[in-house]
Amino acid sequence: MPIKVPKDREVPFGAITPAPVGQQELFITSNWRIVRPVIDHEKCTRCFTCYASCPDSCWSFNEKEEKMEWNWKFCKGCQICIYECPADALSAAPELDFEDGVVRLEKPF
Amino acid sequence: MLSGCAAAAQGAKLAEVEVICSYPIRPYTAIMMELARMVANGELDAEFIHGEGEHAQVSVVLGASAAGARAYTGSSGVGVTYAFEVYSPAAGGRYPLQMAIADRTLDPPGDFGSEHTDAMSARDQGWLMGWAATPQEVLDNTLINFRVGEDPAIMLPQFVCQDGYFLSHIPDKVIVPELSQVREFLPPYKAPHPLSTECPVSHGPQIRPDQGAPMDAQRAATFLEVPRVIERAVADYNRIFGRNYDPYLEKYKMEDAEVAYFIQGAHANTCKAAINRLRSKGLKAGMVRPRWVRPWPTQQIAEAFAKVKAVASVETSTSYGGAMRGGNLVHELRASLYDLERRPLVTSFMAGLGGDVILLEDFEYMAKILTQMVQEKKTRQHVYWIGFEE
Amino acid sequence: MGEAFDYKKQILEPIKSMRSAPAEEMYLPGHRTCAGCGPALNYRLTAKAAGKDTIFIGPTGCMYVANSSYLCTPYAVSWIHAQITNGGAVASGIEAAYKILARKKKYTGAFPNVIVMAGDGGSVDIGLQAMSAMMYRGHDILFICYDNEAYANTGIQTSPTTPYGANTTFTPPGKAIPEGKTLFPKDPPQLVIGGHPAVKYVATTCISYPVDLMNKVRKALNVNGPTFLHMLAPCPKGWKFDEKLTREMGRLAVDTGMWSLYEWENGVYKYSHIPKQYKPVGEYMKFQGRFSHLKAEHIAKMQAFVDEKIQRVKAIAVEAAIPTPKARA
Repeated sequence: MPIKVPKDREVPFGAITPAPVGQQELFITSNWRIVRPVIDHEKCTRCFTCYASCPDSCWSFNEKEEKMEWNWKFCKGCQICIYECPADALSAAPELDFEDGVVRLEKPF
Repeated sequence: MLSGCAAAAQGAKLAEVEVICSYPIRPYTAIMMELARMVANGELDAEFIHGEGEHAQVSVVLGASAAGARAYTGSSGVGVTYAFEVYSPAAGGRYPLQMAIADRTLDPPGDFGSEHTDAMSARDQGWLMGWAATPQEVLDNTLINFRVGEDPAIMLPQFVCQDGYFLSHIPDKVIVPELSQVREFLPPYKAPHPLSTECPVSHGPQIRPDQGAPMDAQRAATFLEVPRVIERAVADYNRIFGRNYDPYLEKYKMEDAEVAYFIQGAHANTCKAAINRLRSKGLKAGMVRPRWVRPWPTQQIAEAFAKVKAVASVETSTSYGGAMRGGNLVHELRASLYDLERRPLVTSFMAGLGGDVILLEDFEYMAKILTQMVQEKKTRQHVYWIGFEE
Repeated sequence: MGEAFDYKKQILEPIKSMRSAPAEEMYLPGHRTCAGCGPALNYRLTAKAAGKDTIFIGPTGCMYVANSSYLCTPYAVSWIHAQITNGGAVASGIEAAYKILARKKKYTGAFPNVIVMAGDGGSVDIGLQAMSAMMYRGHDILFICYDNEAYANTGIQTSPTTPYGANTTFTPPGKAIPEGKTLFPKDPPQLVIGGHPAVKYVATTCISYPVDLMNKVRKALNVNGPTFLHMLAPCPKGWKFDEKLTREMGRLAVDTGMWSLYEWENGVYKYSHIPKQYKPVGEYMKFQGRFSHLKAEHIAKMQAFVDEKIQRVKAIAVEAAIPTPKARA
């Protein structure tokens, strides 16, 4: 008695998956947020507190431009970075204010 | 001359197991004591880990197998049931570790004697499983199970079972093969995606809600592949080591049998002696001993009993409240025979429970009942609790 | 456990600042943890400090279920799920496998960091047996207890590290039991320090001190043997506070004495940070909905419990600067 599992429902062998590289594209979480952090690069002292505070690794330092860089695709809008910033360089802005605000997108993902 | 436990240890040593996890419980402990001695002497180069319990034993060898090492453990009785949580992760994760079980009656009340219920209760967990009848077969099954379990198309853990005390502690003649022969038969274990730093992988993330059923189906599909792997392995084994195993069943005097026993484990040896006696008195009796519980040799059992008039399963384990109100072999036996054009009459006998010996007289009593069934052309009872009948 | 074997393990250098920490993330964006998740932040900092030659063992809990939903995980290094019962055991098997494979020269790479990331339940409740046995057997494994003080993943039930007076779904306050939780919590590092002769290094960490946390991870990994880290992991959902206050809760926990920040190394305690002036526990508890039902007498009981802990701290002495790991054989 043959058993045939449709390709789109297959489970990898032993439920073993390759490790992700860079970011886990299969679990995008930007559509969780209702506010996003906005950075004032003038006020920013490059103290790396935001980088240290993010559970989702959404802040990184762009060596070339010497600026903190924010990850649009994964930020959940928890606001820890905004609360923690000692230089007052971060503020919360409603996601709907932005053209690329994820709640505006027709098809989130 | 080796007992079943000593034979298992020899088998594990020849398989060059790499990680062993021990925990004491009678009667399998002798396997671990023997392996400990081998490791301490330098006869076997392995990591010998003192597990904190049977649940830990299976967990430790699961981790070892995931990392790419050939892993070995074992238990008996309530130890087998204590480890239960980890059986499905081991099988579903496709870790081909091996667990030697010298069966033992489950508590209550702490009886050390043989009974198959402990391992049998784990037969739905997705492991390969089967009973040996002699110390030689224990050693052989150890090697065969590693070969089948580690086959890239299979990758499943294995329960290699033997009757506690009767087999685990009573010595018999064993031919211990040469390591070179074993290496010819058993290639090194190669995990397909081991936990490594070179090629990082995630073992066992949660699956999507629609993937639960497909995962079950895929595991079932793997079991469809097992028989041909068993056949190839046993053929190689017979060739290399000079044995004569049927891949699935031991058949004794079945060619012209009119009544037959269906029995697994060491008590089959007594059964064969009883059959000789019965035949000398004119009864055409035979025996089928399954060497595998999982995968259940459905087709082979049906063929073996096709011409028999009455069959009795000899139940050395319990399944309270089960369909036949006795043991659990009879259910799968009846299921195997159901599609036959002409079905034999089937009954079952509860014997060898709680460490009891099954006497020749018991087998003769069973033969009497079977003969009666043939004469009356019907089954009066589905189960007979020998020694406890009115 | 086999003969003594000299295997090469990399020595991790101390991290001087957040800026000079390795930029590479080993715990990547893209996981289903709650916004502001304390355990996730712990995981990220730990993974960053440990680097790429690491294997994580993840017993069931938030850091399993929320991280690995839907067949994808955020771990850039190898990771294996363990049952909530057996994190220490599965890790032991992995470590032993690497030892034998290295000895037999079947594996010739760097010996990996083997790290268990277990929740409080998986460390000192249902996972206690496996954790303790691993410590006893002397495996070269770092066992981390990320403590969010509850069984959070199943909807916030009490665990042995849940504080006195906490409202959880198994300890709801009511007329008959006004404080909710009546029991005082276990002390995980003390459980380990108490009776495991093979353990040489135990420390507590807090996400509000990230460089300290990463250095303690590295120091523990540099030890050739079992080590234990107790990580405070504030949980917005479980403790019922505004998710942006996750790091603030960590600071207040240390400032009120609810959490002690220390290392224990070969029998010697060294405190990483002792507040000059302890704040009253109310300053910490007032932000958390899990304590909002408590009356003055309950808070007083909590204060007494913490005061007794603080006395022990003051007695032991030596405030140290943020520790830097030393290379060890």
